[in-house]
Amino acid sequence: MASIIKAILDWLLSLFWKEEMELTLVGLQNSGKTTLVNVIASGQFTEDMIPTVGFNMRKVTKGNVSMKLWDIGGQPRFRSMWERYCRGVNAIVFVIDTADHAKLDQARAELWSLLEKPQLANIPVLVLGNKNDLDEALTVEQLIEAMNLQAITSREVACYSISAKNQVNIDITLKWLIKHSSSSSSLVP
Amino acid sequence: MNLDHSAVLQEARVFNQTPIRPRQSRVLLAKILFLIYRGDNMSTNVATNLFFSITKLFQSKDMSLRQMVYLAIKELSTISEDVIMVTSSLMKDMQSKSEMTYRANAIRALCKIVDPSMLPGIERFIKAAMVEKSPSIASAALVSGLHLFGEAKDVVRRWGNEANEALNNKGLSQGPSFFGGAAGQSQVVSTSNIVQYHAIGLLYAIRQHDRMAVLKLVQTFSGQNKSSSWLGGSNATLRSSMAQVMLVRYAVRVMEGDPSLQGQLHALLEEWIRHRSDMVSLEAARAMCQLRDVTGKQLTSAVSALQVFLSSPRPTVRFAAIRTLSTLARTHAEAVQPCNVDMEGLITDANRSVATLAITTLLKTGNEASVDRLMKQMQGFMTEISDEFKTIVAEAVRSLCRKFPAKHSVFLAFLAGVLRDEGGFEFKRAAIEAIMDLAKHVPECKEAALAHLCEFIEDCEFSKLSVRVLHFLGEEGPHTARPTMYIRHIYNRVVLENAIVRAAAVSALAKFGASPSADPALQRSVRVLLRRCLDDREDEVRDRAAWALRITDDGDARDKYVRDDSTFALAVLERKLVEYCASPAASAARFNFEAVPRISRAQEEETRSRVRMETMDAVLTGSAVSTPAQHRLGARDTSEPSTPAAGGAAAAPVDVFEQQAQYASKLNAIPELAAFGAQPLVSSQKPAELTEAETEYVVRCIKHVYEGHIVFQFDITNTISEQVMEQVEVSMEPEEDVSDALQPVVVVPIPELRYDEPATAYVAYERTDPDTFPTATFACTMRFIVKECDPATGEPEEGDDGFEDEYSLEAADLGAGDFMQATYIPDSHTLWETLGQAGEAVETFALANFDSIEECVERVCELLGMCPLEGALKPTSKAAHQAVFTGKWMGATRTVARTRMTYQKGSGVTMELAVRSEDQGVSELVVSSIA
Repeated sequence: MASIIKAILDWLLSLFWKEEMELTLVGLQNSGKTTLVNVIASGQFTEDMIPTVGFNMRKVTKGNVSMKLWDIGGQPRFRSMWERYCRGVNAIVFVIDTADHAKLDQARAELWSLLEKPQLANIPVLVLGNKNDLDEALTVEQLIEAMNLQAITSREVACYSISAKNQVNIDITLKWLIKHSSSSSSLVP
Repeated sequence: MNLDHSAVLQEARVFNQTPIRPRQSRVLLAKILFLIYRGDNMSTNVATNLFFSITKLFQSKDMSLRQMVYLAIKELSTISEDVIMVTSSLMKDMQSKSEMTYRANAIRALCKIVDPSMLPGIERFIKAAMVEKSPSIASAALVSGLHLFGEAKDVVRRWGNEANEALNNKGLSQGPSFFGGAAGQSQVVSTSNIVQYHAIGLLYAIRQHDRMAVLKLVQTFSGQNKSSSWLGGSNATLRSSMAQVMLVRYAVRVMEGDPSLQGQLHALLEEWIRHRSDMVSLEAARAMCQLRDVTGKQLTSAVSALQVFLSSPRPTVRFAAIRTLSTLARTHAEAVQPCNVDMEGLITDANRSVATLAITTLLKTGNEASVDRLMKQMQGFMTEISDEFKTIVAEAVRSLCRKFPAKHSVFLAFLAGVLRDEGGFEFKRAAIEAIMDLAKHVPECKEAALAHLCEFIEDCEFSKLSVRVLHFLGEEGPHTARPTMYIRHIYNRVVLENAIVRAAAVSALAKFGASPSADPALQRSVRVLLRRCLDDREDEVRDRAAWALRITDDGDARDKYVRDDSTFALAVLERKLVEYCASPAASAARFNFEAVPRISRAQEEETRSRVRMETMDAVLTGSAVSTPAQHRLGARDTSEPSTPAAGGAAAAPVDVFEQQAQYASKLNAIPELAAFGAQPLVSSQKPAELTEAETEYVVRCIKHVYEGHIVFQFDITNTISEQVMEQVEVSMEPEEDVSDALQPVVVVPIPELRYDEPATAYVAYERTDPDTFPTATFACTMRFIVKECDPATGEPEEGDDGFEDEYSLEAADLGAGDFMQATYIPDSHTLWETLGQAGEAVETFALANFDSIEECVERVCELLGMCPLEGALKPTSKAAHQAVFTGKWMGATRTVARTRMTYQKGSGVTMELAVRSEDQGVSELVVSSIA
């Protein structure tokens, strides 16, 4: 009974306080973007091995925030199109496979080239070091170092180490994202 | 709808708005699609931006918006870049969790945007969709398979099993046949069995190159071969009429590919003709009619089925039937005759296409007796039909005139009657052309025809037609019994008409005055009339009158300008003039008339009538609605431009003229040869190669036959860069003694022959007896002096006197065919009849060394040196063939050759050759050219 009342309350609240936000997930292929989206949407981990060809669109409602997630393919042929889907969003989420050391340099280069786009100035960036369940995964500090994040000054940047598989730090990620919903959209031109 | 391109693109911002506005976006997508369908050009950049905006719409769940998005993606897929971006989204939509409507549309959109490399990734989804119960999804997947087949054959080939299953899937689609109508059914559950149609299409695409597999497909689904276990059992049936139609077509293709299967499949076709669906029955009848070497007996069932369809209440069925009959009438007029009565009923059909085809078919099947009735019927409704249609009727009557010259009075009365009616330019033109044709080809009715034309120009609103008629009167009038009658009509024009017509009338008068048959009294009166024209208001008219007066006095000028029987090859003249006008450099010099070959008027006339006959044939068979079979034929025509008759009708004869003119100008440049005559009577069409390919020297021989001489032209190319040849001449030694008929007279050597600069040597023989036409084989040897030279400069080395050398060539043949000019003679059938058996020579040959009819007929054509008529070089059957050739012996004696050949494995080709010409001796010589 209590749950029903709570649901109704949530719904009523959402009518008044509903907030919308749009997020774009980018990052190299096989970094776990689609998996992360699934975890956020359904709370379940699925071993999805099909690479995303193009993009996936998901709508997720968390509390009174409804999120539109644009999950863009990470293969080289799609990277030139990241920018198109990052324009005007509330936040860009850059996902990195922290266990794949060989591709860190490439990831850094792609991240920086994306952030240099004038159209994307001022959009907050959340860098997620995924797969921290693996032994060879980097720590947050190592990741910040590897991505040279301390050099970013002109915008808001956050970095978390997460595991979509074990659902580690997904809650703080969501918290950060919700914080950047429409309240911060005034920053976006 | 008048939409502004840029305004619509401006609006495209709507797509990026949050939240999505489905209604607005949908309308905007419709506008964008409209622009694309209208043919507006969209730059890649614009299209790409648009495409990415549209991808944002995937967030909306609005079903109708999504459907528009699919459509837009399909249209933009060819213009925009990076369309693969939507692959994942479409794949999500096509999976079984999604909405039914999404799935089918997503599959169709997906097949437009994937590239073959990604196909393996989505393959399993498409395969699953193919065997889906829902017809719309299964069809979408099958059609996508067909679309993808072109790019990714190997992948699609693996989908055969699924296509098969779809074909046999009873699914939801158990219902009335296609023509039964699907009224009252829900939109998703289609009852058309369309899945079968698509599935059989895909199956065929996959198997098309394996004839046995196609045959099996046909047999399984035709109900024949019931015991077959292939494709899961004997109860395979096609419920879709359209699928059945496809099956008929596949059967025909199998028959075309392998004649040995014909008998078996024939029975199938017969069965299909009796099929309860009109569509299948029509298709089978059509297939039967288009079979190669189909016999009259085999056609009966097809024709009687078509006959029933002729009285169908549905215009499409009537059209299909009459069109098939019309095509059939070209080859098997007698088979169509039983339908004559039904077709006459269709002349007044409300559907013009049906009526037109009915008439043109009747004209082909009708016999002389029915002509009167037909004409009367046509006269009855001429006033009720549109101009365009009247023109077709006039054209048809024109061809009929040629077929039944005896009926000229009926035709003439008909044509004169329709000329009096109201009508537009095209129609009147067709009618007067028909009358002129009659006047030209049926001498008995010339006077009456000219009288009708005179009457016509008395009240003609089209200056162009008046000019045309006046010209014709000027050509034909002077040779009639009473030229004065026409002069009166012509002079009336001078008094009453506008300047253009007056000028034409003056020219016509001039022809009367200058005609050799004009008596002095007539000449005097023409001069009086012309003198009056000198006072005309218009320069051109006065000039023409003054010119005409001058030349009637001056005999030489008259011969040169009015009585001259030669004319320029008009097509070449036109092309040269266009070239001249187009190039500013050329206009500084005078136009070079020498470059334009002159041909006789008769030749010109032949060319023109030939082109006309061919275009008319196209009109009569309704080329606008031509069948695929005709298209295939057409394609084959253009691929063989080397055969003069088969190639483009207009182009080939012109090229022959041009080539002759080139030969003539080259020959005339050599004084010894120029003395033989202005131009050879006959020049060989194809040069004979006297050397193997890739040897040191390339020599080709072309033979020119003059009235009293024969010239062998040797085109020689030196392919050795280190040497220069001097004093190159060809010595010819007849292998048998022909000294009583041929005497060598002139040998023209090449003074110097450098590397890769072809030059020409000649050998000329005199024919001592003009009535014998010697045939011989000549052993040819090339003699020359070789000097070494520097390959870079081509200059012979100093002090090198060179050495004499000789090089034997292959023998040159002089055959009877070399005396024959390959001329197209129109209406060869009539000529054959008029020549009669008096000048006929017939012989039968057993030609064991040919492996096919095709090979044989080509060789025969080469040996005869005659012009193959339509279809002569294209045997339609492997077993038997008839070919007709025409030509002029020594450029004068008209000759027609008919061959009938049969081929049997083992014994080769047996050929009967019958030749008729105006001279019995010639006929025999022609027959002797085959040995």
